[in-house]
Amino acid sequence: MSLPAATRFNLFVQREVGRLLSVVWIPASAFILSVIMRYRVRDVRELRRRFRALVRATDKPILICPNHLTMADSALVTWALGGSWWYLFHYRWVPWNLPEYHNFASVWLSRMAAWVTKCIPIVRGGERAQVANVLKRIQHVVSRGETAIIFAESGRSRTGRIQMETIAHGMGRIVNSIPDCHALCVYLRGDRQDRWSTIPKRGDSFYVDFEVFRPESDNSGMRRSRDFAMQIADRLVQLEEKYFARQRATA
Amino acid sequence: MDQSEIRAKILEIISIYAKNKDAVVSATDETNILQDLKVNSARLVDVILDLEDAFDIEVDDEDADNVNTIGDAISLITAKI
Repeated sequence: MSLPAATRFNLFVQREVGRLLSVVWIPASAFILSVIMRYRVRDVRELRRRFRALVRATDKPILICPNHLTMADSALVTWALGGSWWYLFHYRWVPWNLPEYHNFASVWLSRMAAWVTKCIPIVRGGERAQVANVLKRIQHVVSRGETAIIFAESGRSRTGRIQMETIAHGMGRIVNSIPDCHALCVYLRGDRQDRWSTIPKRGDSFYVDFEVFRPESDNSGMRRSRDFAMQIADRLVQLEEKYFARQRATA
Repeated sequence: MDQSEIRAKILEIISIYAKNKDAVVSATDETNILQDLKVNSARLVDVILDLEDAFDIEVDDEDADNVNTIGDAISLITAKI
């Protein structure tokens, strides 16, 4: 799992430059989400209290595994869980992200913004060695006490529900490769989000719930990683069912 | 088990997941499993787990990183059995 010294140094520089600039980009991101897009998170105080209590109480590596409906999900999950000012003083909990390279790489400004905001680009379905190299970087940062977001599904859900046939093996692989790594399953959904989209509708209100656990398996090798990925997906399905049960009850 | 038997078994398993079924019939050692046979990257894991069962072997994630082509899969299985 060890990375070449040059790669570790590059990650260090990326993190520290991002930390220096975080006084600008973190409040700016929160401004875009809360003022320009008018997004709201339901029961946000209680949600953040739970999340902050969790990170205070744990010394375990944590990988954040949300469901995936829009391209703004990682920003929304990050903002919903920690707010903005809290991250300035707890920068290691700003998660690393794995955006699809082709979604932003054509514009140098978006490439630079992605670099500053702890993104490591990945080409989904690309050469396996390249994908493995990206996953190794995530293993490295998570095993050193930072966190990362890996979506449970390998793309935005086309049905609007968690699609078990597209479960991303990579998240199970990372949890498997880091001793005692826990998965933080996060279910996020806008009230007006029926299916997948580029971004949620302006003014949408979000339901967010999470659960942390350590997957278990008696298997080894790739099968163990697969077991982990499926257990994480199962937890997300339970969170999704809880959401829809709640919606039915309040309808 | 010789290489032709291994190849036939691999192609039999891949054909379940390949979107390009025609390309499976004419596949060579250089055929790329993801790009040429149009196996979804998430499904490649299922292919390898099926290969584990079929050949009674265990494959690590790192081993699987080297499997891009049919020839890579044959080499991996030959080394494991």
